[in-house]
Amino acid sequence: MKSLAIILLASSSALAADPAGMAFFEQKIRPVLVEHCYSCHSGEAKKLKGNLYLDSKAGWEKGGDSGEPVIIPGKPEASLLIRTVQHLEEDMEMPPKKPKLPDAVIADLVTWVKMGAPDPRDGAKVEAKRGDKSWWSLQPLAKQFAHDSIDGFVTTKLAENKLTLNPPAEPRALIRRMTYDVTGLPPTVEEVEIFAKAHQANLGQAIEALVDRLLASPRYGERWGRHWLDVIRFGESNGFERNFVIDDLWPFRDYVIRSINDDKPFNQFITEHLAGDVIGKDNPQVEVGSAFLVAGPYDDVGNQDKVAQANIRAATLDDMITATSGAFLGLTINCARCHNHKFDPIPTEDYYRLRAAFEGITHGRRAIASKEEREAFTTATEPLNRKLKQLEAERDALDQGINARAKAHLAKTKPTRPKVDEFGTDEPFAPAEARYLRFVIHSFTTDYNGKVAPGARGGKLTEFQVWSADEPARNVALASNGTKAEGAKSATAEDFPEAYGPQYCIDGMTGEAWFIGQPAELTLTFAKPERINRITFTNARGERGTDESKVRGATPTEYEVQVSLDGETWQAVATDEGRAAWTPAHGIAKARRTSITEEEAARVAALNKQLAQTKAALNRVPKLPEVWAGTYAQPKEPTFVHKGGDPIKPGEAVVPASLTVLDQVTKPFALKPDADESQRRLALAKWMTSDDNPLTPRVLANRVWQHHFGTGIVDTPSDFGFLGSKPTHPELLDYLASRLVANGWKLKPLHREILLSQTYLQSAAFRPEAAQEDKDARLLWRFPPRRLSAEELRDTMLSAAGKLQLEPMGGPGFRLYKFTQNNVSTYFPLDTHGPETYRRAVYHQNARASVVDVLNDFDLPDIAFAAPKRANTTTPLQALTLLNHSFTLDMAQALATRIQTGDAVTQAYRFTFQRDPTAKEHEASTKLIATHGTESFCRALLNANELLYLE
Amino acid sequence: MNTPLNLTRRHFLGQMTTGLTGVALSRLFMHELTAAPPRQPHFAPKAKQVLQIFCPGAASHMDLWDHKPMLEKFHGTPMPGADKEVTFQGKNGNLMKSPWPFAPAGQSGKMISTMLPHMAKHVDEMAFIHSMTSRTNTHGPGCIYMNSCFTREGFPSAGAWVSYALGSTNENLPTYIAIQDVRGEPPNGKANWSNGFLSAQYQAVSMAAQQPLRNLARPASIKADDEQATRDFLKLINAEHAAAHPGNDELRARMAAYELAAKMQLTAPEVSDLAAEPTHVHELYGTGDSNKLKAAYAKNCLLARRFLEQGVRYVSLYCASRASAVDGLLNWDAHKTLKADYERHCPIFDQPTAALLTDMKQRGMLNDVLVVWCTEFGRMPTHQEGTSGRDHNPDAFTTWMMGAGVKGGVSYGETDDFGRRSVVDVATVYDFYATVLHLLGLNHEKLTYYHNGANRRLTDVHGHVLKNILA
Repeated sequence: MKSLAIILLASSSALAADPAGMAFFEQKIRPVLVEHCYSCHSGEAKKLKGNLYLDSKAGWEKGGDSGEPVIIPGKPEASLLIRTVQHLEEDMEMPPKKPKLPDAVIADLVTWVKMGAPDPRDGAKVEAKRGDKSWWSLQPLAKQFAHDSIDGFVTTKLAENKLTLNPPAEPRALIRRMTYDVTGLPPTVEEVEIFAKAHQANLGQAIEALVDRLLASPRYGERWGRHWLDVIRFGESNGFERNFVIDDLWPFRDYVIRSINDDKPFNQFITEHLAGDVIGKDNPQVEVGSAFLVAGPYDDVGNQDKVAQANIRAATLDDMITATSGAFLGLTINCARCHNHKFDPIPTEDYYRLRAAFEGITHGRRAIASKEEREAFTTATEPLNRKLKQLEAERDALDQGINARAKAHLAKTKPTRPKVDEFGTDEPFAPAEARYLRFVIHSFTTDYNGKVAPGARGGKLTEFQVWSADEPARNVALASNGTKAEGAKSATAEDFPEAYGPQYCIDGMTGEAWFIGQPAELTLTFAKPERINRITFTNARGERGTDESKVRGATPTEYEVQVSLDGETWQAVATDEGRAAWTPAHGIAKARRTSITEEEAARVAALNKQLAQTKAALNRVPKLPEVWAGTYAQPKEPTFVHKGGDPIKPGEAVVPASLTVLDQVTKPFALKPDADESQRRLALAKWMTSDDNPLTPRVLANRVWQHHFGTGIVDTPSDFGFLGSKPTHPELLDYLASRLVANGWKLKPLHREILLSQTYLQSAAFRPEAAQEDKDARLLWRFPPRRLSAEELRDTMLSAAGKLQLEPMGGPGFRLYKFTQNNVSTYFPLDTHGPETYRRAVYHQNARASVVDVLNDFDLPDIAFAAPKRANTTTPLQALTLLNHSFTLDMAQALATRIQTGDAVTQAYRFTFQRDPTAKEHEASTKLIATHGTESFCRALLNANELLYLE
Repeated sequence: MNTPLNLTRRHFLGQMTTGLTGVALSRLFMHELTAAPPRQPHFAPKAKQVLQIFCPGAASHMDLWDHKPMLEKFHGTPMPGADKEVTFQGKNGNLMKSPWPFAPAGQSGKMISTMLPHMAKHVDEMAFIHSMTSRTNTHGPGCIYMNSCFTREGFPSAGAWVSYALGSTNENLPTYIAIQDVRGEPPNGKANWSNGFLSAQYQAVSMAAQQPLRNLARPASIKADDEQATRDFLKLINAEHAAAHPGNDELRARMAAYELAAKMQLTAPEVSDLAAEPTHVHELYGTGDSNKLKAAYAKNCLLARRFLEQGVRYVSLYCASRASAVDGLLNWDAHKTLKADYERHCPIFDQPTAALLTDMKQRGMLNDVLVVWCTEFGRMPTHQEGTSGRDHNPDAFTTWMMGAGVKGGVSYGETDDFGRRSVVDVATVYDFYATVLHLLGLNHEKLTYYHNGANRRLTDVHGHVLKNILA
C-alpha cells in the first residue's frame, strides 16, 4: 500500500555500443554476481542488505546505504564494490562471513570496472527505499507561487478533490476557537457577547480587532511558548537513574515565553538557543537562551568504568544533536550515529560534525549575570573573604600551641585498656538493675574534635548487646525479647520509614546498621527490669577479618553507659575511660580538652564566633543568579567518527562544519579542527538560520500551521525526511516559509495571515459527503475540531471556577507532585492541589518520569524526547481522574460558590461554556441542583464534553 | 482491513506515513476507544498473558541461580587475567565464593542456591537463561533496558508493546499493571512501565496491595446517589452535545470511556480484595508473615495472580525497589555486604514467589501465562575492594522463563568458570523479548511503530528467538 517511488529507467544503448564488454560481463561477471551477491542484493533476496541491489545496473548506480554509486566506471580503486571484495573496507568484507573470493575472480571484477563496467541489465525497476538529495524538503524554497493567499492554495487543492470550504463559523464558535488557539484560555462570556455584536456590525473589522487583541495578550506567549517547549524537549529534572529535580531552569522557560510575546525574530531566537552566551555576553536575557542545549535528560551517575563513561558522554551529546536537528531542521540526524542514515542522504560524518559543535558542553549550572551584577558581587565579597583568611590564620596559630601541650600530655598518660573494636567492644561494669539503658556517644572514629558531629559524619552501629548478670549471660537487648530501641537517625527514606533506624541495633543481626543521628544517643527500654553487667557494641557487618573498610561507618570511641529504673533518674555505669586512643589525633583531641587554659578557650571561642559571623555575612551577600545552562570548555581533542556508534572505536576525524545533506542549496562552512568552542556553535546557528537554508523556515512554518489547525502540512513535524509524511500542500508550505522569512522571521504576522484566512474562519460543520473524501479534513474542507490539551483543560477548569491566578507570570514553577530524594528521586503525585497550584499549567515544573494527575492523563508527554506532536487519547482513566480527583471537587465547589447570586444555572453555563443554557438544559440542571446540590451539578459541567472540545 | 486486523493496522501505522490515507488511518486508531480492545496476534500464540517478576538492584546470578564450583575452589585468589578490574564503583579484589552452598533440585538436578528452598521446587519447570548480557552497568538505564531494550528513557516498555499489539481481554480492568514493592519504585521509576512514544493508553497502571489504583474510588465526600445523579446528568448533556456534533467520533468515545470507568470502579476493587482468598492460600504465600516486607510482597504476589486470573494482559511485579543511601538496603544491589543483604532479600522473595507459581499451576493458569523473571544485570565474581560485596557486571546475568510455551528443566547458555562473562550461546535482552513476543504469537520484526524518523521495534534492530527453551 505504500506509495513507493518507482523509478523506471530508460533503456540504455550500452548493449549496441559495446558488444565485447557485454560478452565479458556475461561470461565473467554475471555468474559471479549471481553466485556470490544476489542472495543479499537482489529482488530475490530474502532480506535485502544495505539497501543495495546488484541485479541491475541502476542498482549499483544508485548505491545502498552509503548513498553513493558502488561502482565508479573506470575507477576500481574508488569503487566500493571492488574495495569490499578486496577486503579493504573494515567491517564490510564481502561476501560476508565467507572466504575472500579467488584472486582471479577479483581481477575479473577489476578489469570489468576498468572497462567502464558495461552492464546490459537495464530497464529494471529499482524501488527507491530511501531519499536522496533530490528529496522534496532538501530543495530550495520556491520563489514563485501560483497564489498570493493561503486560501488560494487551499481552495485549489479542495477543488481538485471536488471539495469546498465550509461557510464561515458563527461568532461564538469562532471567538472560542481563536481565543484558545492564540492564548490557550477560554474567552469570557462578555468577550463573546461583545464580539458577537461587533461581528454583526462589521464582520471584517471585528475579526481583525479580535486577532490583534489576542496576539497582543501576554497569554499568547504562555500558550505558544508551551508548544515550543514541547519541540525542544524542555524538562526540569535530569532523568535517568537519579532524576533529580532542576530548580533553576525556569528562567529559560520565562525567556521562551518572553521572546515569543515580544515576537523576537526566530533566526535570532534559534541563534540564542545555540550560542546565546556568545552573542549575549553580559546580557542575561539573551545568554539564558543557551540553556536549550542542556534542557534535555542526561545521565549523571558516577561511573568508574571508562567504557561506560565514554558511552554516557556520547549519549549526553546525542541528546543535544537529536534535539537540535529535530527542532530546527526537521531532520533525524541522530539516525546517522552508528551508520549512514538508512533513509535520508545523511552520512554518519554529518552526525559527528554536529557533535563537534557541541563537544565542549557539560551539563550544570552557571552564573548568568550582567557585568554590573558581577562587579557588585565582587565588591561585596572581597573584603569578607580577606577577613575570613586572616581569622583562620589567627586561630591556626593559637591551635598550634595548644596542640603541642596536648601532645606532651598524651605522651605521659598510658592507656589501661585496648582501643575500641569495630567488630565488637565489650564494656563491663558492676551489676546494676535497669529498666532503661542509655548509650551516650561523644566522639567517633572519624571525628576527634571532642564534639559530636552531626550525623552526617557517618556514625553507625550494626548491633548493640546488653548482657544479663546471671549465668549464662543473656542478651536482654534483643527486640525479640520485647526491648525497644530509640535514637535519632542521620538518614531517612520517605517511602521506606524503617530505613536506617535504631531498631537494626537490636535485631540480632549485624547486616543492617543504625545511622546515628543527633543527639547521638541510643536508648533501650527493656520489657522488664533486668540485672545487667556488660554491653557490647559492634559496627562491623561481616566476620572478623573481612575487610569492609569502605563500608563501615564511624564507630563510637568516646561514650558513657547510663542506666535507669524509672527513665528519669540516670546513673552512669561505664565510660571509655582508660581506653587507648583510636588514632593519635583522637588522643590529642581528648588531651587538648585537659591542656587548654581558660584564657585560650575563651580566645578560641571568640575567634570561632567571629569566623561564624564573617561566614554568615558572606552568605548574606546575594548570590549571582545561577541558571541550569551548562558550562563550556575548549575540547582537547578533535571529534572522531565513532565506528558503528561505538565511542571506543574512533574512525576518521571530522571538523565542526555544516551538514553535507544541504550542501547543494545552503552555503557550507567548515572550521578548523581546533576552532574555538563558542565559534563552533555560532557558526552552526548562522548556517541553520541563513536565508538559503530551506529547512529551518519550512519546519517552523509547518509548526505554526500545525498548532492552528491541529495537524501540520507535514504531519511529522520534526521529521521532513523519507520516513516522515509528505506535505499535503507543498506549495502552501513554501509560501508560508517564504512569508516567514520575508516578515523577518517574526511569527505574529504569519499568525495574523493564517487567522484571517477563510480557511481558518470557516465553520467546523460536518458534511458526510466531504468526510467520505477526506475524513480528517486534512484538505481543510472544514475547520478540524479538537480536544483541549492537558494544560488548556486544567487552565479552563481553574478559569471556570474563577480561581486562575495569572500572576506571577513566571518565576519558579509549582508542583503537582511531592519530590523526595534519597540517593535517587521519587515523585509522588499529590492527592490535593492547593491554591499555590492555581497558576497556568505552563508554569508547572515538569519533571521527567513523574506522572501527575490530570496533566499526564490528558497526554502531557513525558519529556524524555521532544514531543513535537502530542497524542490525543480517550481512556477510562481520564474519566476516573476528572470525576474523582480532589482538584475537580475543589473546582466544582469554587464554581458553586461563584454562582450563588443570580440564576445559578445560567451563570454556570456562562462560566463554563460561555453561553446561556437552553430551556431543556435549564430544567434538567435546576432539577439536579434541587435534589443533589449545586456541587453535583458543577462537577458534571466540569466533566462535560462541551468543556473539552472545540469546534 | 480484514483479518488479521492488527497486521493491517500495524502496517498502516508503521509503513504508511505518506499520503492521506495513512495519516487518516493512523489518526483513527489513535482515537480508538477504551484502554485497548483485544486484537489478534501474527500467528497462533502459546501464551496469552505475561507475568514479569523483576528483582531490581541486579540480583546476583552466582549467588542465586548460576552455580560456579570454580569460585569455591579459587575463593580468595585473584581472578586470572583480570586482576584489579575497574567496574562501576571502582576496583575489585579477589574472587569471592557465594556465602551459601548450592544444592541439586528436582528431577533435573539443577543446582540452585540453598537460600531459595521454595523456588528450588520449581526448577523442573523453569528454563534458565544463564548467558544474558546488558549494555550498561548502571541500574536506572539497566532497568529500562531490561524493560524496553533501550538504555535511555522514552521508549515503550515491553508491557506497553504487548498491550499495543494484543490489547486487553477484560475491558473492565487495565491492560497492563505494574505492581510496585512496598519499599518504593525501582530504579528509574515510572519509566520502567512507560508507554514511551506509544499513546498513553498503553502504559501500565501502577498499583499494589499497599496502594490502590489512583482516583478509582468515588471520593468519600460524595454520596452514592449524588454520584449517580451527576453521572446521569453528564450523560444527558453529553448526548445532546454529541447529537449536535455529528461526525466527531471522539465525543462518543469519551462517553463510552465514562461507562467503562464505572465498570472498572466495580471490578478493580473486587479483584484487589485479598480477603476473598481462603486462609490456606494466604498461608501458602505468607501474607501474614512477621517479616513485614515479606508479607507485603506476598500480598502483591497474590494480587498479581488475581489480576492475571481476570485476564489482565501483562503484570509486572517488583520485588525490591531503588538505590538508597546504603547499597543493597532496598534492593538487590549488594555492593558491600552481600551476605547480610541477601539474608534479608532472599526470604522476602523465595516463599511468596514460589507460592505464586504453585498457585497458578494448580489453577491451570500456566497454560496461558508466560512467567519471566528478570533483573537488570549481574554481579562480579570478585568482591569489591574493602568490602564483602560484589560490583555490577553487565557481561553476565541470569533470567528465567516458565509457563505457557516454555520447556521446563533446561538451562540455556553458560557463563565462564567464574561467572564473569557469558560465553556459551550469549543471549541479549533483544533475544529475550524476541522470545517473549514469539510465545505471544508476535513476530518481533513486524511489531513496529513510527516515531521521530524510524519504524521502532521493541527489539530495536536485533534479536533472535531462543528456540531451545520453547516447549
